[in-house]
Formats: sequence, C-alpha cells, structure tokens
Amino acid sequence: MPDDIAEVYRNTYPALVRFLYRKVWDAERAEDLAQEAFARALVHRPENTRGWLFVVAANMARDEARKAAREKRHLTLLKSEPDAVHGSPEEDIDADTQRTRVRAALDQLTPRDREALLLWDAGMSYDEIAAQTGLSRGAIGTTLARARRRLVEAYDAGREGGQHVARG
Amino acid sequence: MSHVDEGTLHAYLDGELPSSERAALEAHLAQCTTCRATLAEERALLERASALLGSTRPIERPAPPFEQLRRPKRSQWRVRTPFAWAASIMLALGLGYYLRDPENNRAMFAPSEPAVVAQDRNASAPAPALGAERQQRPTVPTRFGERRRVSTPPADEVASMQSSADSLAAVETPPAAAGAISLKSSTQLRSANPATPAPALRRDSVLRLDEVVVTGESPVAALRGRGGTTQWQIISRGAAMTLLGTDPVGLPGLATRRIRRSPAPDATVVVEQVLDSSTVIQIFQRPMDSFGYYIDGARRDSAAALARQRERAPAAAAREIAPADRLARFVGRLRVEISGPLSTDSLNRLLEQVEPLP
Repeated sequence: MPDDIAEVYRNTYPALVRFLYRKVWDAERAEDLAQEAFARALVHRPENTRGWLFVVAANMARDEARKAAREKRHLTLLKSEPDAVHGSPEEDIDADTQRTRVRAALDQLTPRDREALLLWDAGMSYDEIAAQTGLSRGAIGTTLARARRRLVEAYDAGREGGQHVARG
Repeated sequence: MSHVDEGTLHAYLDGELPSSERAALEAHLAQCTTCRATLAEERALLERASALLGSTRPIERPAPPFEQLRRPKRSQWRVRTPFAWAASIMLALGLGYYLRDPENNRAMFAPSEPAVVAQDRNASAPAPALGAERQQRPTVPTRFGERRRVSTPPADEVASMQSSADSLAAVETPPAAAGAISLKSSTQLRSANPATPAPALRRDSVLRLDEVVVTGESPVAALRGRGGTTQWQIISRGAAMTLLGTDPVGLPGLATRRIRRSPAPDATVVVEQVLDSSTVIQIFQRPMDSFGYYIDGARRDSAAALARQRERAPAAAAREIAPADRLARFVGRLRVEISGPLSTDSLNRLLEQVEPLP
C-alpha cells in the first residue's frame, strides 16, 4: 500500500541514506540510491517494506562499490589522500580525516560484522538484522559485540599508525 | 550462573534481550562484580563505536517529497528511451533523406525533387546540371546506398572540402553548398565574430572564398557542378612541387593515387590517397608566402595568426575548430585540408599525421 510506503519513507529515509552513505561514502549518491530504493518499493510493493528496502539498498551499494572500486583504482594513483584536494577549512579537513579513519576501520571488519553494525546503526532491530543477514537472532549480540570491538581497535590502530605511517 | 558472554551484554545494552533473559541477567549482575565490570567495559565500547559511526554521518538533508518518488528514475528512462530511439531514427532518416542521392533512392523515398535543390536557399543552384551529373554517377543499390550516404559516402563522391582562392571560383561555387552541412570554420577562426551566421558569410564573396565545407551533399554537388575534383587536371608530383613551391604533403604510408591541381589559378593541389580499396582521402593543400598570404596575393588565414590564436587561448581555439569540423592545418607553408568518407574525428586525426611526402 502506497500509504505504508509513505510512512516508511518518512521514518526510514534518513536511516537508509546513512546506511548507504557508509557504503558508498558519497552523500549525494547515498541519497540517490535511497530514493531509487523507495521508488523500486513503489513498484514492487514488498510485504516488509523496511526490510526489503535495506536489502535492495545493500545490493545497490554493493554494485556501486564494485563499480567505484574499478574506477577508483586509477584515481588513487592520482591522489593518495582521498580528501586532500578539497582545500576546505580546518574543521572540514578534520572531519574528512575522521571519516577516512572510520572508513578505513570499517573496511577491516568482516562483511557480515560490518553489515550487522551498519544495519543496527540504521535503526534495525535484532530480528530485522537476523532476517537480513541470515544470522540467528541469538548471534546478533555476539556479532555486534565483535564488530564494535574491531571497529574501535582498528580505528585506534589507524590513528596511532597514522601519526607515523602514511595512510593510503 | 557462569559469567555472561559479551554478546548477551551487548544485546542487553541494545535493549534487545528478551524480557525473560533480561531478568536473569540483571539478577546475575547484582551479584557478580566481574560481570558488572565487563558490562561497564562493553558499554564504553558500544558508546565509542556508536560515536565513531556517528562521526561519519552524512549531512542530513530533508527527504524530498514522497510524491516525487512516484516518478521513479527508472520509469523516466523507460519513458525516455523510446523517445531517444525515435529521435535517433528520425535523425537517421532525416540525414539519409538529406544526404541521399535522389537518383538512387527514389525507390525508397519516392519524391522526385532532389533534396539538395530543395535546400538551396539561394535558389540559383545549377540544379539541372547537378541532376545530369548525378545521372552519370555509378548506381548503387538503394538501401546500401542510403546507408553509405549516412555513414561513409562513396569515396569518388567525396570532394567535400575545397579551398577556392579567387573570386571567380567563389562565384562559380554553386550556392547549393549553402544548404547542406557546411562548416565555415576557417572564416570563423579568422573572423572577429565567430558567431557570424553562415548566410551572411555566404554573401561575402571574399569570406566565402575560404568557406570550408566538410560533409553533406552540397559540397559534393558543388564540386560536381563544376566537375568536382574529378575534372581537376591530373599532374605529376614534380608539377605539384613546382606549384606548391615545396613537397606536396600527404599521409605517410598511404599509396598516392593521383595528384590534381585546381583549375583556378590558386595553386591548390589535391593529393588523393588510398586508405583501403573503397576509401580515398583527399588532401587539399595551398601554398602561402611567409607573410601568411596565399601565393596569389589574397589575404588568407595566416599561419602565424592561427598560431598566435592557439597560443593565446588554445582551448578556445580548439573549441572553435572542433565544433565546426575545421579539418585544416598548416604544414610548413602549406595550408592543408582533408576530406574523405570518414568521421570528422578520424579525418582530424589523419590530418594531424600529414607530412611532406617522400
């Protein structure tokens, strides 16, 4: 029912954008993909709109990431520091640096741990995460605990390493 | 109860522990300092992880109105694609109609009036002569001919560029050239106002001398009306060298089929080279003196001026050249233009390779 989708849209759009952003790392692209996912939901009218949206969004982001990875390979040759070219104010550089570090830390998680963490952060319940990832509900807590620990550890390691070792 | 595992603690902290388990856990925590310490650690970890993720939130912008989603981007494409196809088909048909040889394609298109004549704005084209000329041309099968005219016009018909020098030649140039895809970049390059509309240029016989027509029916017709380059006198390489005052230029590695000279007294020479069995490239060339004047004294593109222009604004110069399909450059003292049944892009690339023939 379109009304339901409209309701889901109001409640879930920001979370879906956030979820997608952590996958494509491009705010506008994340918004485009989120809107695309909702537009598809309007056509497909899935039973569980919210869950369906995240599945579709994850798939779109995966396709996007594959494409981006291909394009990025030569881009990274051009600029070793992804966000160094913007010449933004210091706060922005700090925000960029922070984002780069978190992103690098997230990249060190296993895909399943990362997915669970991002879904939780997007506001999904353990039940929804279980349905989405195929994990048992009882395993979600453990998965999230591991994901959080690795994220923090990888971030700290990256920050310490970043003082001395060039990132990238 | 043994110590609580971290997964349960996280589920508890996340508020996702079923109520029965939660009660049991809280009872255990009340007694077990170790697990309380662990819980505090896990809470700190959880909060840090949330903070880290929170630091990478995109700037949240309001969701666009839900109603906008009713036109999914996909369906826009679904709607547009047929139109795009229709547009390209119309373009192809239009081009085909426009570029077609009326004699050969009558069966397909049926109209008896030659398209080029219909396009003739000056209404003074020697249409009968064109028609007669066409009758003499080899007939190609209708459909094949149609396709060839759109993509790769037959080589013998493509004399699609000329650089006539004297006003006599200009007057003689059939105005049919005006109707087709005529590109006058040389005048645009030189002119103070590159946006000067083509008709105004056509009325100016001096400017028109340098009119460069790249593709389409009319330039072919124009040449045909005067006999085309096929009626240009075939000359020897030595004669060409005498005319040009330097070695004629061409594409290295290609066989030179013949060299002709313009009937006009402007020392224009065309080198015809064979790209493959069905493709002949024509390389028109004209000498200029060291002051950027053509040998016959008419002021023309100055190589120096062109170079200056390129230096000043190479991008702008390129823009001026590219859209107008300039297809001309200077090689030493020669102003060289290229023509052939290839895409403009290909011709331009070939033009870049032109060098004095050995």
